[in-house]
Amino acid sequence: MKDKLKPYILLSPVLLIIALVFLSGIIMAIVQSFGYFRVAGLNEFTLRYYREVLGSDSFLSSLSFSLYTSLVSSIVAVIFGVLLANTIAKYKNGNNVIKYLYGIPIIVPHIVSVLLVYNILSNTGVLPRILYGIGIINSASEFPSLLYDENGIGIIITYLWKEIPFVAFTTYTVLARISDEFLEVASDLGATNKQAFFHVTLPLLMPSILSSFIIIFAFSFGAYEVPLLLGPTKPKALAVQAFIEYSNPVLENRPYAMVINVIITFISFILASIYYRLFQKIHKY
Amino acid sequence: MLVLSIFNLTACGKGKIDESDIFQKDFEELVEEARGTTVTFYGWGGSGQTNAWIDGYLTESIKKDYDIKVKRVGMNMDEILNKLLNEKQLDVEVGNIDVIWINGENFFTARENDLLFGPFTYKLDNFNKYIDENSLDIRYDFGYPVEGYEAPYGKAQLVMVYDSEKIKDPPENYRELLELAKSNPGKITYSAPPDFTGSAFIRNIIYDIIGYESFTNLELDEDVVRNIIKPAIDYLRELKPYLWREGVTYPSDVALLNNMYSDGEVWMTLDYHPNSPYGKILTGEYSDSTRTHIFENGAIGNTHFLAIPYNAPNKKGAMALIDYILSVESQASKYDPNIWGDLPVLDNEKLSEDEKKIFSSIKLGEATIPQDILFQNRLPEVSAEIIPLIEKIWIEEIPGE
Repeated sequence: MKDKLKPYILLSPVLLIIALVFLSGIIMAIVQSFGYFRVAGLNEFTLRYYREVLGSDSFLSSLSFSLYTSLVSSIVAVIFGVLLANTIAKYKNGNNVIKYLYGIPIIVPHIVSVLLVYNILSNTGVLPRILYGIGIINSASEFPSLLYDENGIGIIITYLWKEIPFVAFTTYTVLARISDEFLEVASDLGATNKQAFFHVTLPLLMPSILSSFIIIFAFSFGAYEVPLLLGPTKPKALAVQAFIEYSNPVLENRPYAMVINVIITFISFILASIYYRLFQKIHKY
Repeated sequence: MLVLSIFNLTACGKGKIDESDIFQKDFEELVEEARGTTVTFYGWGGSGQTNAWIDGYLTESIKKDYDIKVKRVGMNMDEILNKLLNEKQLDVEVGNIDVIWINGENFFTARENDLLFGPFTYKLDNFNKYIDENSLDIRYDFGYPVEGYEAPYGKAQLVMVYDSEKIKDPPENYRELLELAKSNPGKITYSAPPDFTGSAFIRNIIYDIIGYESFTNLELDEDVVRNIIKPAIDYLRELKPYLWREGVTYPSDVALLNNMYSDGEVWMTLDYHPNSPYGKILTGEYSDSTRTHIFENGAIGNTHFLAIPYNAPNKKGAMALIDYILSVESQASKYDPNIWGDLPVLDNEKLSEDEKKIFSSIKLGEATIPQDILFQNRLPEVSAEIIPLIEKIWIEEIPGE
């Protein structure tokens, strides 16, 4: 009994703070999203703000923009991340430099990645300059506009640069532990490399692929700085829109910001629960 | 934020400082009592020049003259406000901020929620001696009455920054701006609201078309505002196809716009600090041919202020510091473009000849418009509550396909 409780007691100071910050924040957001915000003189619970936000075109386009950029970037990142990890794992005993090199983007903050992408891809960036230098384009304006566009290409590229290594990192640790014997057995039984990858390696990787997918998706879905700096003026990502509403000097406007925040949180919760269910199913491997 | 406030609560307890004597005492007595204390100065910390002025000139001089120690904490105004708002909700009577750098919508929010101490400015020697209390930009802060709850700190004014080698005749009004954009498609743009500077530029355009008088005593209603600014919105729509990226998208931040200007991607940028473009020529960020310009009908300007939170632990020290900032020496040192370049708030009429000389002897640089011309062409800001409405209408009507 005592031993069972011990870890909880040891963890309790940390858990208490996490719970306090987390729960108080979420509870306050939910309460304010229903229009109860005493400081601003709002004392009634109402669904009005949800109705207004969910019924507005700008919210819906923000929602689909956020879903779109984070889904595309997360899916592509997972695919390339797994391929990268697989490639690195093949050269397990070979070049060690790569193993460390690919981890660099993980520790670079998002805001710095934004700067890198901006420096390379803006119309006066490094890439258009090189293309201009070797005569492929004749002026900076001929370079396709990759940043600030409604397709969110700049945002997606920034996330990919950060997330591919992250996926590779999480899957590589699993890959490195998968015994070569599995693959040897598979090929002894007549499996091609491709078959061995899809039927042996991939299923073993599935839990870590899923968890990294959920992590990067939830992160990019709620992220602020990347879409703020590289996104189009319209539609704005949800987090950016939420912050604009939040900084409105008229405090009575605060519930709108909180409605958006609660929706972001809600979607992340749904994702987490899907992940939890899937994880239990997949874990049998 | 909440946790921080909870820690404050437990750390400081609910002790109350007796400050009933502040309003009875002479200012000299207050300064005397503030000797040897520390004043915490919270405000936006994003500019190296500004921080260097506070940490350097201000901290050293007031230490020498009043024996007051200044502790600067860089924090965005909205975060400071949320901190105070949380403290208010939790009844924290002794906070840890003495002076805040504030203006506009934040002052509005702070006053509406009783977050400030005051009125206190009538107690300050230098305020009474040098400030023209009746001038519009001292009496009102973005249309909201100041009523002694904040003292002026400095002034800013919106200027257009352009490359005189590429633009020979800078636009004198909105019509010429349209002509300029038409003959140089893709070379002009402005930063998108809620960026502070881009938002001010849009208001300046609105003023130029419908006059700033249209905003006095305006009802706070989206439809009213939408109706009044319609000619300006129509104009911005007409301008849109000739802007950078056909006006579909806009730089999200004025820093980005400045960067695009340095790179030559656009030919014009904006600055709410009339002195800072010259500083950027000196650092090599802008070309030597960079100049600043304002419309013939004037440029929007605002005053930034200093206030004291309701729960400031050292109100006497805060008042001494604010008074010190209102001195001729402090204001002049701040005005020097090599130091900060912030426009002074003192009334020229109230300065002695010698004091006037201190200001006129400061070298401004050829890219900078002198303060007397700026002040003659200064237009007031609209009320803080209207700004988000204008921004909302702009977002709905202008960007996008």
